[in-house]
Amino acid sequence: MKYLAFIISLFVTSTIFGQEVVELPSASTKVVVKLAFKNGSICDPEGKEGLTNLTASVLAETGSDQYTKSEINDLFYPMAATYSTFTDKEMTTITFQVHIDFLDEFYEIFRGVLLNPTFAQSDFERVKSNMEVYVKEVIKASSDEEFSKKALEEQLFSGTGYEHMKEGTISGLASITREDVINHYKNYFTRNNVVIGIAGKYTSSLLEKIKSDVNKLADIDPAIPTLGEVKMPDGIRVQLIPKPNNLGTAIFTGYPIDINRASADWPAMAVINSYLGEHRKSYSKLYKLIREQRSMNYGDYTYIEWYEAAGSNQLPLTGFPRSQNYFAIWIRPVQTAISLTSQYPELDGIKIGHAHFAIRMALMEVERVKNEGLTQEEFDLTKQFLRSYMNLFVQTPAKQLGFLMDAKFYGLENYIDYMNEAVAQLTLEEVNAAAAKYLQVENMYITMITDQAEAEPLKESLLKNAPSPMTYSNVVKESLGEEIFEVDKKAEVFPMNVKSVEVIPTTDLFDE
Amino acid sequence: MMKHFIIFLIIGLLFSCNTEQKAAEDGIFPYPILQTELDNQLNVVTVPYNSPGIAAFYIVVRVGSRNEIEEGKTGFAHFFEHMMFRGTDKYPKEKYDEVLKSIGAAANANTWFDRTVYHMTGNAEMLDKMFELEADRFMNLKYSEADFKVEAGAVKGEYTKNYASPYMKLYEKTYNTAFKEHTYSHTTIGFWEDVVDMPNQYEYSLEFFDRWYRPEYSTIIVVGDVTQDKVNSLAREYFGEWEPGTYKQEIPVEPEQNETRYAHIQEENFPPVLSLNYKGPAFTVENLDMAALDVIGSLAFSERSDIYKKLVVDERKVRQLNAGGFNTVDPGLWSVDAILVNKEDMTEVKNEIDELIEKLKSEPVDSVELEQTKSHMKYGYAMNIDNPDAIANSLAWQVWLTGNPATVNKTYANYDKVTPEVIMDVANRFLVSSKLTVSTISSDEKFQEAEDLNLDR
Repeated sequence: MKYLAFIISLFVTSTIFGQEVVELPSASTKVVVKLAFKNGSICDPEGKEGLTNLTASVLAETGSDQYTKSEINDLFYPMAATYSTFTDKEMTTITFQVHIDFLDEFYEIFRGVLLNPTFAQSDFERVKSNMEVYVKEVIKASSDEEFSKKALEEQLFSGTGYEHMKEGTISGLASITREDVINHYKNYFTRNNVVIGIAGKYTSSLLEKIKSDVNKLADIDPAIPTLGEVKMPDGIRVQLIPKPNNLGTAIFTGYPIDINRASADWPAMAVINSYLGEHRKSYSKLYKLIREQRSMNYGDYTYIEWYEAAGSNQLPLTGFPRSQNYFAIWIRPVQTAISLTSQYPELDGIKIGHAHFAIRMALMEVERVKNEGLTQEEFDLTKQFLRSYMNLFVQTPAKQLGFLMDAKFYGLENYIDYMNEAVAQLTLEEVNAAAAKYLQVENMYITMITDQAEAEPLKESLLKNAPSPMTYSNVVKESLGEEIFEVDKKAEVFPMNVKSVEVIPTTDLFDE
Repeated sequence: MMKHFIIFLIIGLLFSCNTEQKAAEDGIFPYPILQTELDNQLNVVTVPYNSPGIAAFYIVVRVGSRNEIEEGKTGFAHFFEHMMFRGTDKYPKEKYDEVLKSIGAAANANTWFDRTVYHMTGNAEMLDKMFELEADRFMNLKYSEADFKVEAGAVKGEYTKNYASPYMKLYEKTYNTAFKEHTYSHTTIGFWEDVVDMPNQYEYSLEFFDRWYRPEYSTIIVVGDVTQDKVNSLAREYFGEWEPGTYKQEIPVEPEQNETRYAHIQEENFPPVLSLNYKGPAFTVENLDMAALDVIGSLAFSERSDIYKKLVVDERKVRQLNAGGFNTVDPGLWSVDAILVNKEDMTEVKNEIDELIEKLKSEPVDSVELEQTKSHMKYGYAMNIDNPDAIANSLAWQVWLTGNPATVNKTYANYDKVTPEVIMDVANRFLVSSKLTVSTISSDEKFQEAEDLNLDR
């Protein structure tokens, strides 16, 4: 396709001063620069969980040897120029965006922050306080969906460098001092672990300055800890997190898979994943079964890699390359018993809402795809879709740059281009073999944020593998065809290999 | 905080079209806005843009929760947006999904106070198919009563996920408190009891489609690797036979607010929130009211403002501070939102904001800061429109607010006309306690410091 050729033809990479540079020159008057440091929350010292993200966050909120943060805000205000940081498990990206009218003026100020950040005590305390309230309160109260994902990762990556969320833990953040931040910046944001990316109508002199400045960062080879072994759980391990008067149960599940974007089986699993549960797409299987046919929630998707801020983004962001992934099922909140009984007299007396049935329905479909694979027609259509759709991931210069830089992490040149070719070459046999190899329903972690009154009955139901018939309201029930009820009869008794169910108060999450 | 709450040859020869092409006005928008109104009053907007192989296809329908005037029908515009994905005779749901998937596009829709927007961004070479699919459902939507009843559960699921957030609860309560007669008193997703009753509204849904999904209420915007000739040709081929309707509506007028109102959400273990919501103007490019309020929001409350430096950076009493208003067809709310560190500081923070607003009424703002603010707004916009989706989205705003995408230029030209005197005038007319709704989140069952907040000033 011609737009692919357009993207490919424009980017070049080079290595100067030991730093890799990704250049994406274009006519865009917005210049975007990304400095991608290979560090991430995996580098947080034990007992100081959250240090890498906090270091990056304070950097974005502090001054330089020449200006305070407030003075920088004043100077950048007329330019509408922005700079920000984003940390994930294995990478931190500093991004700035500025109009070419202010390029040199902006950069002269920005370089002061990059090379001589003050990390003023007051800036440090302000940012740390915001991070602490996020970990302690905001994440637990503002979105059950995000909460369930962070809690799931804590279980799934227990005992490894991915265990704590990037924002940190309550005790970890409490122990971090300004000196920790200063030292961490010096040791983990260095000239030796950075890739420079630049896009737009920039000048060669600007790029030279950036290269030269990045080369002035500490000449230290950061000691990046190893991740550790991410073990497959023995059976299904469920974590129930009750909250008072919750109308919904938010569900997120996962088990480790040993493939990433560079793996030979990745394109095949991307097809399987798209077929089963492409993010925010109404034509994928789980969405059809749970939302469209049964009216149970707002959407149901699967993932083979982390999807940042999935609740608010229809297309993927960049900056979170990971060497370790997991297969995940995201079931958006389904109704709890208190919600259902308050709406429908005919459901009076039920103790459990739709959560147990929903997870069974999802697992039954995953098992079907594992065993049966895709038909030729389904395979051809999904392949066609993905090859076109993935081009939409890189609609802006900033996104193009981000995907190119993430590709470097995996040793790839251009992920979007690579996937277009790789998916085109796939055969049905390869894809179905990947489904058989990587899909399974026996061992996984499940996190559910649910209603206080539902936690114990749900725990008992899960542990006993008790039948969980779908409790439709009369108005929905009378609208459904017999074929739906036939499938329901199988789903409600679908055997789940539940080995443990823990009910955990919200206050016990992310504490240490 | 509040502002963050906030997503389409032959017949052409047979049915002659009004091919008047409105020329783009000079201004901030750097691309030609090519408009053609078909005989059936459907406006077709084309913006050729250098995005090789990619096109964004938007259809803006000027119906939203603002139009939900009938009792028990709150949330219906949004619910109906869901039904638009339930198929036609030609493309039943399964077939529609299959074709949509084959296009490989990012397609979705969203509803708000004043409009419903359907968008499809994808391979420009598939534009013909996009037009065919969209025209078919906009003209021939057909779903069973059973499908209608089932879809309601998805809306309930959406409500359930959203309202896990205290911010959303406060947003709902604030609008319900600030508006007594006007339909902005309910949020777009509707009241819970109306959402629960939706499965029983099948007959009304047919009426709703007949009223609103008409060319006179709709605008097509196509941005990207396209030509106007191609877009117009497809519009005539597929939408040329779409018949205008007859429905007209009167929205209840909100009576003048003469007292400060109060809304509170109790939430344990959550950062306290103070939100001051003033009745603002309706959006128009014919005066400077909204432009001046936008300028105030940035100049007086952004990261470069004195109050931000004091409360957020220096004293660290406030975690986040921002101000602004939604642009709405009828008068909406203009808000100052503060997320606090301690609820005990709420009175002091309120007083600081009050003092600043009084100062805006009585003292001219610094002319240099004003010019910097205009520059900030201009460059912020220019840097945002760097892809077909963002461009189409930017024009869609103008379409539902003024009916004309080219008013984007006048909107930004108006910022240039804002003077210190205009700011004082606008602050005096809109930022007054008699038009204020104070809304708060704290751990208290009832906020005990109401008197300290000078609610009855």
